Amino acid sequence: MGTSGNEQYSAQRSTAADQQTASAWSNPLRDPRDLRMPRVAGPCSLVIFGVTGDLAKKKLLPAVYDLANRGLLPAGFGLIGFGRRQWDNEEFANFAKENMKAHCRTPFNEKTWEHLHDGMRFVTGTFDDSEAFTRLSDTVSELDRDRGTRGNHAFYMSVPPRDFPLVSKQLADSGLSHSTEGAWRRVIIEKPFGHDLASAKELDRVVSEVFEPDSVFRIDHYLGKETVQNLLALRFANTMFEPVWNANYVSHVQITMAEDIGIGGRAGYYDGIGAARDVIQNHLIQLMALTAMEEPVSFSAGDLTAEKRKVLSAVRLPKNLAEHTARGQYSAGWQGSDKVLGYLDEKGISRDSTTETYAAIRLDVDTRRWAGVPFYLRTGKRLGKRVTEIAVAFKPAPHLPFETTATRELGANAVVIRVQPDEGVTIRFGAKVPGTAMEVRDVSMDFSYGRSFTEASPEAYERLILDVLLGDPPLFPTTEEVNLSWNILDPIEDYWSTLGQPQPYRAGTWGPAQADEMLARDGNHWRMP
Amino acid sequence: MIVEMPDTATAEISRKIDALHEERGEAALGRVLTLLISTSEEELEEALETANAASREHPCRVIAIVTDGSDAGEHSKLDAQVRFGADAGAGEIVVLKPFDGLKRHLDTLVIPLLVPDAPVVAWWPSKAPEDPSKDPIGKMARSRITDAIRSANPDASFTALRAHWSCHDIDMSWTRLTVWRAMLASMLDQPPHLPITSVRVQGQSHYIPLDLLAAWLAVRLDVPVTIERSDDLNAITGVFFERENGVLSMERPYEDQATICQPGESQQDVAMPMRTLEECLSEEMRRLDPDEVYAEVITKGWGMVDHE
Repeated sequence: MGTSGNEQYSAQRSTAADQQTASAWSNPLRDPRDLRMPRVAGPCSLVIFGVTGDLAKKKLLPAVYDLANRGLLPAGFGLIGFGRRQWDNEEFANFAKENMKAHCRTPFNEKTWEHLHDGMRFVTGTFDDSEAFTRLSDTVSELDRDRGTRGNHAFYMSVPPRDFPLVSKQLADSGLSHSTEGAWRRVIIEKPFGHDLASAKELDRVVSEVFEPDSVFRIDHYLGKETVQNLLALRFANTMFEPVWNANYVSHVQITMAEDIGIGGRAGYYDGIGAARDVIQNHLIQLMALTAMEEPVSFSAGDLTAEKRKVLSAVRLPKNLAEHTARGQYSAGWQGSDKVLGYLDEKGISRDSTTETYAAIRLDVDTRRWAGVPFYLRTGKRLGKRVTEIAVAFKPAPHLPFETTATRELGANAVVIRVQPDEGVTIRFGAKVPGTAMEVRDVSMDFSYGRSFTEASPEAYERLILDVLLGDPPLFPTTEEVNLSWNILDPIEDYWSTLGQPQPYRAGTWGPAQADEMLARDGNHWRMP
Repeated sequence: MIVEMPDTATAEISRKIDALHEERGEAALGRVLTLLISTSEEELEEALETANAASREHPCRVIAIVTDGSDAGEHSKLDAQVRFGADAGAGEIVVLKPFDGLKRHLDTLVIPLLVPDAPVVAWWPSKAPEDPSKDPIGKMARSRITDAIRSANPDASFTALRAHWSCHDIDMSWTRLTVWRAMLASMLDQPPHLPITSVRVQGQSHYIPLDLLAAWLAVRLDVPVTIERSDDLNAITGVFFERENGVLSMERPYEDQATICQPGESQQDVAMPMRTLEECLSEEMRRLDPDEVYAEVITKGWGMVDHE
C-alpha cells in the first residue's frame, strides 16, 4: 500500500480515536443533518511553547479566546504557557489577557475570560532543563485532576525549528508525548518544515520518533483550511470555470504572495533561509497544486493529498534556470509614506548577505491539462502592498471581429482569486466603452466573501486550533508533499547558491528588473495586484 | 442618515435608494438577501436595531412593514423612510407604513423593492400569522422566522405554528437552543459511553425552548423525558441524564455560567452566556435551507413528551 493509503488510514484513525471506535458507539445527539450545531472540542489542554513570542501574542492567544467566546471550547479546558520568564500563573494570565484583549476578533467578555483564566498555568523553564519538563508533566496531571482535561493534551511548538528535536526529546523523556488509553496527545509544528529535502526528512524522523504520525499536525498558517476549501468550492462546485481551466484557454498562471513588511525582528530566522524557502516551498507550491490538480474523488484529506501529490510529481523545472528564475534583495527606500531600511542595513544582517528577499520562478506542469502553460510563482518582502492572489490569465479570443483600433485597450481575460486581504474573486473581461466609437476596454466583475456572506471567516488560527483539538484530519501538507516541494525547490536553491548577490530592488516597488525580464521572455508581464 | 418620504410611491423609493447609492459611491449589488420584517410601530426600532446588528455579518436590504396603521379608509396611502449609513448597519433599511387599501396587498407593495436574484427572508419579531406560509409576506420568503415566545400568548401561538408548519418555517425558540444542544452533545462524547435510561429537563414555566429541548432529546435518545417547570426559574436551567453509574448533568442556574457534574469527577464550569436576539437572527440568516432536525422535533418529538 502506498502512502496515500496510510494517510487515509491515519486520518480515519485520528477521528475514531476521539470517539473510541466510532463504529461501536456513536453519539445519539449528533446527526449529520444538524448543520446548526457547532462542534465543541472535548476536554483537553493546549500547551504552548514559546508563548511570549510574536505569534502567540498576536495570533494564538487571541484565537484561543475567540474560540472560547464562540462557545467552542469545552468546560474542562486548560491553557499552559511554557517559557523562560519567571512568571507565576497570575502574571501569565495578565499577559494573556492583555494580548487577547488587544487582538481578539469577537468582543471581549469578562465571563469568558474568567473561565479561561481558571484553567491557565505557567511553567518556567528552558528547553534543555529536564526538571522544567517534569514540572510541566505535573501541571498537566494537575489539570487532568482539577479541570477534568482527561489526559488530552496538544503541544503547540511556536519555537524555531532548530529547537524541535530538543523539545520532542524532552517531551518523550518526561513521558508527556505518550497518551494513555482513551486519551490523545498531539503536536503542532509550524512551517518551515526544514530548509531542504534532507533536513525536512530529518525533522520528520525526529518528530515521528516521539509522536504517532497521525498525532503530528503540520501547519502552514498562511494557508488556512478556509482558503483551501474556498478554492475547492470555486473550482469544483461550479460549471463555468472547469471547461476553461486548461491549456486550451489558459495562457499562464501567476501566483503572488507579496508582503509590505521587511524582516522585522526575524533576522536570525530569515537570513540564510530567504523568500523561496520561507514562502514558495510551502505556501505558493500548495496554492499551485490546488489550482492545477484534477478533481479529487472526495474532499477527505487522503483523496485531496492524492491529487496534490500527482500534480506536484508532474512539475517540471525550467531548463535554463538563469532565464526563468529571478531573485532580489530590497534596498532602502520609501514604503508608501514610511522611510525604510535596506535588507543589508537591517539589524542582525551581515553586510554581504546573499539571502534573497524576493524570489520568482517559472514552473511547468507536464500533464495534458496544463501542457505549455507556465505557472509563475513570486513572493517578496517590502513590495508595493500586502496581497496574496492566484491569477489565471486566458488566451486572447481566436478571432476579434473588430477594427484593431477598437481592441487596442483590451487585455487578456483573467480570473483572479484573491486569497488575502479581502478574500474573493475578480473576473476581468472586455466591455464596450459607452459612446459612439466602438472601443473595448477591460472591466472587472467582483465577488468578495466579506460582502456576500453571513459569517465573517474565522481567523485561520481559530479554525486550525479547533481542528487539532477535535482531531480533524488537517488539509495541511503531508510529509510526502513537503518532500515533493523540496524536490522542486532544491535544484533552484543549488543554482542560486552559485550566484552571489541578488539583484537589489527599491523597497515599496514590485521587485527586481530581473523578474520583469523573466516574464517578458515568454511574452507575458506581471499583473499589478 | 434617515430620509423621510411621506405620502410616497414604491417607484420613488427605488429611485431614492439608487440615487443614495450613487451619491455615496456604494454598489447596491453586494446585498445578499432581503429581510422583510413585519412589525408594529411600537416594536419597530428594537427590531431594526437587531436587524442592523445582524446585517453587519450579513449585508442585506431590510424592509420593515409597519402593519398597525388604519385600514378602514377607502383611499390608500404610503408613508416611507429610507435609512442609510450609520442608521442602517451594513445595508439599507426601508420602512414602509401602508394605510388603508394598501394593506390588503402587501406582497405587491414590496416586490418592486426586493434585491434582485437574492433570497427573501421574512421575520415576525413577535406577533406572527397562524400560518406563515399562507401570509402574503411569508409566501414570498424562502425562510420564515417566527418568535412565539415573544408573542402575547406563546403557547397558543406555537400550537398554531406547529399545526400549519411547512419546511421553510422556523421558530426562534429552536435557535435559542443551539448552544445547549451543542454542549450536551459534546458532554455525551466523553467516555464512559453508558446507555441513558431517562432524562429530566428543568426550566421556566411556559418556555417553549424547554419543551423543544425535551422533544429533541426524546427523539434522539428514545427514552422517557420529563419536564420540571417552575415560575421561579429563568429559561432552561438544567438537563439531567440518568445512567447506570448515576446522573450526568449540566446546569445553568444563573446567566452566563453552566456547570457539568458527572459521577466520580470534579465539577466543571463553562461560560455559557444567554443568546441574544441578534445572535439568533444571525444564525437564522446564515442558513436558509430547511432544518430537518427541527422538523422531526416538532412533528415526531413533540408528542413524545408531556407539555402540561
